[in-house]
Amino acid sequence: MKQSPNDAHLDAVLRSSALVAGGFMGDDPRRVMEVVDADAGALFGLGVTTAQVAQRLKEITERATRGLGTWVEIDEQYEAMVDEARGLLPCPWPHEGYYPKRVTTLKVVASGRTFRWSDLNIHMIEAHGFFEGKGSAFRIEPAEIVGILF
Amino acid sequence: MIVSTLIAVLVVSSIGAALAALLALSESYIANYGECRITINDERELTVQGGKDLLSMLTAEKIFIPSACGGRATCGLCKLKVLEGAGPILPTEEPYLDEKERASNVRLSCQVKVKGDLRISIPQELFAIREYRARCTRIVDLTHDIKLFRLELAEPGTMDYVPGQYVQLLAPKYEKNSEEVYRAYSIASDPAQRDVIELIIRLVPGGICTTYCFEYLKEGDEVRMNGPYGEFHLSDTDAPMVFIAGGSGMAPIRCILHHMKNTNSRRKAVYFFGANEVREMFMMDEMHRFESELPDFRFVPVIAKSDASEAWDGETGLVTDAVQRGLQNASEYEAYLCGSPGMIDASIKVLLDLGVKDTGIFYDKFA
Repeated sequence: MKQSPNDAHLDAVLRSSALVAGGFMGDDPRRVMEVVDADAGALFGLGVTTAQVAQRLKEITERATRGLGTWVEIDEQYEAMVDEARGLLPCPWPHEGYYPKRVTTLKVVASGRTFRWSDLNIHMIEAHGFFEGKGSAFRIEPAEIVGILF
Repeated sequence: MIVSTLIAVLVVSSIGAALAALLALSESYIANYGECRITINDERELTVQGGKDLLSMLTAEKIFIPSACGGRATCGLCKLKVLEGAGPILPTEEPYLDEKERASNVRLSCQVKVKGDLRISIPQELFAIREYRARCTRIVDLTHDIKLFRLELAEPGTMDYVPGQYVQLLAPKYEKNSEEVYRAYSIASDPAQRDVIELIIRLVPGGICTTYCFEYLKEGDEVRMNGPYGEFHLSDTDAPMVFIAGGSGMAPIRCILHHMKNTNSRRKAVYFFGANEVREMFMMDEMHRFESELPDFRFVPVIAKSDASEAWDGETGLVTDAVQRGLQNASEYEAYLCGSPGMIDASIKVLLDLGVKDTGIFYDKFA
């Protein structure tokens, strides 16, 4: 896949630690557009859109925020909690947009397994189809999250 | 065919190299802003080489403006008045400036590039801020994601601060961080120990400074910080007080409680501290000790959910519910809150419902 200068710049920004420790790409050797395309393909195969995923994540975050940092029951199977830190994070894509440093953790009650996302994750999934590179702190596997959310 | 291809490649490469050289040459002329004068409070004048942002130029002159994001326009703390020479407000500044601030020439100093002479206004108290070198002498696990860091000051050897204030800790370059950044943390220590600063820090996944503190900083390492900053402190009244905090929000409240003990304060106070579960409670013994050391202080730990396997006979539910249940005749109270924006907002609502005046609610919001 050929890479435009803009994509190459974006790739460099996402790999840098300018915004988050270790960057958004983790140890994923693929280019950012390859990551986006592969995840889009996976989602298509599951019959779900990025807009639907983002909407579901937003709903859970909104409900969990009411717990003021404690676990909130989402339904019989899941609990969620929201943690907030100081400051805002800008979207690494070249447009305006700042997102609170708010992290939602979703827990599968039966197994204790957890999934987490930030407000910036929700935006990057919704606007850019980006679930982060493999190995990054906030990588979300489309197949896993779809299995949980839908 | 091969020769003509090689010639074409050579020609294109030469043009590219020439353009790059031209760009570098023009940048050194066009982007050379020469010497610029920064006039501060119409009293003091700095002469600097133009081209960098105002925040870093002031920092280089040992004038420390609060900033928690390393100049990325993501914290909105580095505001100051630029009365002349700043140019138009940038889109990166807009989210942080309200109408009143825009009208009075408030700007984010990290976003103002010094390209010519500037006239600025800096609050006097910021001139008292210093840079400190310290040694990390103790790291204590408080919960699975909260640690206490004890920093013994080396140069200068002491810091004078008002209990409730914060410092900015430097995260140096490390494996996962390519440049130095500062992050703000409330002082948690006993202010009587002027040579020690203790910080209570919660790990933020992917956070540049907290990752440094949790994964890289070791006992014995040198650290740098500047401060003190902030307007969060006890009022000078005798009004009864309610403190509300959660997680690392414990830090400024602990410092204030030490101060109350040191000054033999007789003010009535109750402290509601919220956590998810028993294992996330910390410094319980110390907080209960304050109950015997202060004449009229009550500590109310609140956990969201008690597990049958854990012994707990205290309050359960949201911390705001416990406040609602436990605070009577609240109209005379002052409230001091430290925690997430969600917790602060919910607490303010409850406190107003209980009759606390909005002018008597003070908070340190994690935003």
